[in-house]
Order: sequence, then structure tokens, then C-alpha cells
Amino acid sequence: MDFSFNEDQRELRAIVAAFLERHATSQAVREAAEGDGFAAEQWGRLTGEMELTGLAVDPDRGGAGASFVEVGIAIEEIGRTLLPVPYLSTVTAAAVLTHVGEDAEAGPLLERIAGGAAAAVELGDGGAPLGGDRPPAADVLHIGEAGDAVTVDGEAFVVDAGTAEILVLAARRDEEPALVAFEAGAPGVSIEPLATLDQTRRQARVRLDGAPATVLAAGLDAVARARDLRSVAIAVESVGAAARALDETVAYLKERVQFGRPIGSFQALKHRCADLATELEAARSTAYYATWAVDGAPEELAVVAPLAEAVAGAALLHVAAEAIQMHGGIGFTWEHDAHMYLKRAKANELLAGGYRGVRRLVGERAGILG
Amino acid sequence: MDLRPTAADETFRQEVREWLGEHLRGEFAELGGAGGPGREHEGFEVRLAWEQELGKGGWIGLDLAPEHGGRGAGLDRQVIWAEEYARAGAPARVNHMGEHLLAPTIAHFGTDAQRERFLPPILRGEELWCQGYSEPGAGSDLAAVRTRARLDGEVWRIDGQKVWTSLAMHADWCFAVVRSEPGSERHRGLSYLLVPMKQPGIEIRPIVQITGTSEFSEVFFEDATTDAANVVGEPGEGWKLAMGTLGFERGVATLAQQIGFGRELEAVIATARETGAVEDPEIAARLVDAWIELRTMRYQALRSLSDGQPVSASMSKLLWGPWHRRLGELAIDVRGADATRVEAPYTLDGDQALFLYTRADTIYAGSDEIQRNIISERMLGLPRG
Repeated sequence: MDFSFNEDQRELRAIVAAFLERHATSQAVREAAEGDGFAAEQWGRLTGEMELTGLAVDPDRGGAGASFVEVGIAIEEIGRTLLPVPYLSTVTAAAVLTHVGEDAEAGPLLERIAGGAAAAVELGDGGAPLGGDRPPAADVLHIGEAGDAVTVDGEAFVVDAGTAEILVLAARRDEEPALVAFEAGAPGVSIEPLATLDQTRRQARVRLDGAPATVLAAGLDAVARARDLRSVAIAVESVGAAARALDETVAYLKERVQFGRPIGSFQALKHRCADLATELEAARSTAYYATWAVDGAPEELAVVAPLAEAVAGAALLHVAAEAIQMHGGIGFTWEHDAHMYLKRAKANELLAGGYRGVRRLVGERAGILG
Repeated sequence: MDLRPTAADETFRQEVREWLGEHLRGEFAELGGAGGPGREHEGFEVRLAWEQELGKGGWIGLDLAPEHGGRGAGLDRQVIWAEEYARAGAPARVNHMGEHLLAPTIAHFGTDAQRERFLPPILRGEELWCQGYSEPGAGSDLAAVRTRARLDGEVWRIDGQKVWTSLAMHADWCFAVVRSEPGSERHRGLSYLLVPMKQPGIEIRPIVQITGTSEFSEVFFEDATTDAANVVGEPGEGWKLAMGTLGFERGVATLAQQIGFGRELEAVIATARETGAVEDPEIAARLVDAWIELRTMRYQALRSLSDGQPVSASMSKLLWGPWHRRLGELAIDVRGADATRVEAPYTLDGDQALFLYTRADTIYAGSDEIQRNIISERMLGLPRG
């Protein structure tokens, strides 16, 4: 049994971190966030020379054939910086295509993702966790037939749809949910970028009017499994963002002097930092376990994925809120980065339907409730 | 990263299961999971006999090197042993201090003569140990130790008082941190002595706890003696030795402990179903949270076993102490008013004992506040106040 990263994995982390150190500075992140919400140049290099979107794609489909642990490393490092690129969405789509989709439909899409095409995922849950035999809460996308072709009608808010070439969405055929894939540029698809509370991760309004689609998988279970994969990705991202926010806060407490000494020497602040660090490390262990389970123990994902999302999401919320408080007045300014982490934390929570619901889902799947 | 057990580990697990299946019978099996924190008064004589049974099977001191009488088992195997032991519902061990704290200290820092004298009786389950660290004026601040020892010819003479000594009434020996250099202060001038407990110079007074039971004692030393050779390391190195002892407790014990926690939580969930408390959304949320947090503690403990992962023992303590205390609250909350009545004159049932005993979990072995100091200063590098 080994919970440590191997040499290749450590090297991958170092390479991604070194790139971000230079190209995802606070200034670069802000320029993109306050502009059109997309760091296009950095995205080009992350997907191009670094080939990060193909990490876990099968070599037969042009990928590197690594596991989701490697993907998690890249998500975590990008998550530290909040760089506005659709990496999490794209690799979540790749994981859904790999683990849930049928190869005939998914394979060609995976080839394009490995080649750098951006993708977005919306699971039609309208922010409500799927659990037990409950159907997705939102059934806004309807699958119809036009001759032999499948078409979809409806409207949905989709994270990262504004930059995506490929959209993976949950829709309904009669009463049965299904996962479908679209081309963003297909006829009948209109995508309207929106301003968002968290400027580092944009959403778009996607309108489908007889849009041609491919069915990847059908059934509630397929949608639930897709959701679990997204949960794992968000969990490990939350760990990265929380770690950065805590690092910055601890550094500030060592440097800020009041009453003639660094405020980090006051137990009122130290003890809260210790609690945050403890919560973060437990969340990190959980999120890492979940990234391993994607390939290593997929039968555990139904419980571990929402569990990791709830635990890591809560850690990010707590760290981000405390980061502002412990920075005092400067933490309340637009100029300081602290607010960006709070906004990401809260957006993640609300898009997940609230962590109380995610925890209830764990309780149901683990057989504690219901 | 690969969290699957190896085939060799599975073979070892099978060996453990078979041995426990064959030997955990009769009066040993009848004890169930008796003993342990809050229940140390239960079935002591049978548990001592069981300890000796374990010794015959070679299951004590697995981590010690073969030349010291152990199996040289790595962390994975120690975890398997501890997990299977907990799963089998075997009685709580009676010599944790001897096996897990003193034995590795002697193996590491002791002389050959000390190893020959002290390790075999521990491995046979014949000599029990207690720990003499805390004093009335030295709780969280261990360096404030005032118990004195002076070398008088062939013996150390010891005067002073220790407190919160677990299982002192059953122990044959005590490893104690004492001030051996008169006038020394703080971490300097301390020595790590091995002191026989059954002697006229030692008086033991049990402390009655909030549960009404006793497993801790005050230990008074009045011209107590031990052989001059019974100092581990050099005189004056006591602080280093004591810190080393604390460092031997790693994630292994935590993982085994979690099996017991899981069993307690399952019982609370079952009670909540019986009483209908699970229908209360707040209780349901607390049950789910407890389950989730126990899982995160497991992942944390697994990660702490892998080299290169900086997960501190203080964090582990800060996770499980408050968790266990909250479980104690849940255990009686799901019972409701029924949990307010005890057996006369004052005998607690398991839920009531859990509620009260777990108050100790956030105090002993370094209070939560001390753990937060350690984490913030040593891991985060924040300045001392």
C-alpha cells in the first residue's frame, strides 16, 4: 500500500507548478478574469506543448494513458492559482467520456480533447445532488428525433460553455435521463456568455433548438457516475485553492506587525490557522484518495466522490473566509486576491447544490439514511 | 499511489485471522472488546492472561527488529495486525505503554543489558509498564517536572509525585522523567529512569474520574529507589528520550483505533434507528457528518503511513479527539431522556460512559490547545507568543 506520488507524478507537478509560477501570476489571472474570463494564451500552452488535457486519455486516442491521479495533480496546481482556463471542465468531460460513454461515440471526442479541444459538462441536476432513485431535478433539455438523428431542445446554464468546442450535457428522453454530446458550433446551438460572481470561472446560457447530438449513455446511473467524476475533480481543485489561500494568510500573519509584534504570534489567530491546516490536510488526504479511486477502486466512487467534494469544498470555504478576516482591511479590497478565493469557494458550493445535500447523498449511499 | 494491499500482505492478514480465530476462545472471547479507555477496570486478570497468550504467539512487539525479539514488521503489517485484532473484537491490551512506548525506546536508545533485561518480559506479556511524565505542576508544560532523583552509590533515590498515570496499580515498572540535576531548569537536567513499582517508597492513589471509575492514579515517590544502571541514555538526556518515546506513536495505532470508532458509530446509528431519532434532520445530519469525518480520518491515517507525506501526529489527534467527544454527545442525544437514568449507585452504561469519558480525549496526550500550538509553530512556522 502506497499513498505517495511516484517520481513521474512529482515531476509532473513540478513542471505544471513552474509554468504557473511564471504565467499564472496574480496579475495574469486578474487580467483574464476581468477581461473575457479566459486566459487564452496560457490555455494554448497548457494544452499544446504541455498536452495536459490528454493526460488520462488512452494512447490509442492520442493521450498519455496516465490515471486520474495525474489529472488531479494538474487540476490542483491550476486550482491554486484560479487561472481562468476550462481545464477542470475539459478533463471532467474526458473522464465522463472514458468511464461512462461508449467508445464508438466517445473515442473521436477524446481524440479531440487530447489534441487540446476544450469541453464543458452540465449534468442537468440544476444544482441538486442526485441520490437514490431521484431523477435529475431539472429536466430542461429534451431529446427528440429528427429522422435517424438525435436532436435536443432546451436551455441551460453551463460552466465554461463560452470557451468549449464540445458540450457534454444531461438531457431527457421521455422519463429517462441520458448523457449527450454536442458541438458548440453546431446549428441550433447558441451560447451567450454571462458575467458571474466568480469571475475566474464563467458560465454561459446555452440554448438548444433542434441541436444535433450524440447519445453517450442512458440512464440515471450514467448521469450519477458522471456527477461523481466531476465531484472528484472539484474536490482536488478545492484542495489546491485552499492551500494557496492558507499559505498566503500564514505568510501575512508572519509579516504584519501590530502591538509591536507579528500578529501571527497571537494564539487567537494561530489556533485558527492550526484548525484550518488540519481541516485542509484531512481534505487533501480524502481528495487524493478519491483521485486514486477513479481508476483504482471505481466501486468506491459513489460514496467517496461526494464525500471528497463536501469535505474539500468545506475546507476551501472555511480557509477562504478566514483568509479575508485575518488579512483585516486589506482582505476586503478588490486589490487583494483573497476575495477571488471566497467567490470560487461559494460558487462551487452553490453549483453543487449545497454541501448539506451532498452530505445527505453520502448518507444515503452509505446506507446510514433512508 | 496504489492503495491496494499486496498479495504478501493478504497472506499475512490470513495468518493473523487464523491465529485469532484459533486462540480467541473461551474466557478470552467472552470478554469481547472489554477494557480500553474508560473501561480499564474490566476483566483485568483475564486480559493479562490473554496478553501472555499473545506473547506465546509472537504477536507482541511486531515492529521490533528480530534481534530484539520482534518480527521486524513494517507499517503495513502492523496495521493489518491492529485492524484484524480490532475486527476480531479481542480484549483491549494491558501493556500499551510497555509495548508501544517503552520497548521501542529501549530498542533505540537502551544498552544491550537493558534490552536483555526489559524486552523479553514485555514480549512475553509478563511485565507491565506505566508512564511517569505528568505531574501536578507539569501537565501541558512537561518541562516543569519537579520530581527529583539523585544518584546515591549504586541506586537512584527518587522523591516527588506523578499524576494521571494509567494502570499504575497493575504496573510492575514505570518509565519516568525526573529532575536529576539539582537546580536545573526546563528541558535540561532531566533523566529517563526505569523504576520498579512494587516497593515501599511508592504509594499509588487511584483518581476517581467523572465516570465514577478509576484507571488513572497519583503516584507518590518517597525515597523510592532504582538501580543506578536503570537510566536510559545519559543522565540529563531525559527530555530527548521522552520526546523520542512520543514520536514512536504513529498512524498504526490510529488506524486500529478507527475500527473501534467505527463500531461505536454503528451502534449509535442503530440506536438512532431504534429510538426514531434518525428521523430528526439535525440528528441525521450529525450522524452523517460523523461517518464522513471518520472516513476522512482513515484517509488521513493511510496517507500518514506513506513516507514523504507530511501529516503530523498533532493533526491526527486534533481530528480524532473532538470527533470522539462529539460521538459521545450523539450517543446519548439519540437516546433522549432514557440516558439520564443510571444503574444504582452510579454505574454507567456504554453510551453514558462514552459521553463522559470522551471529555478526556481532548485533554490527555497533549490537549487540543497544545496540539494547535505545535501545528501552528512547527508546521506553519508562526512565531511563538
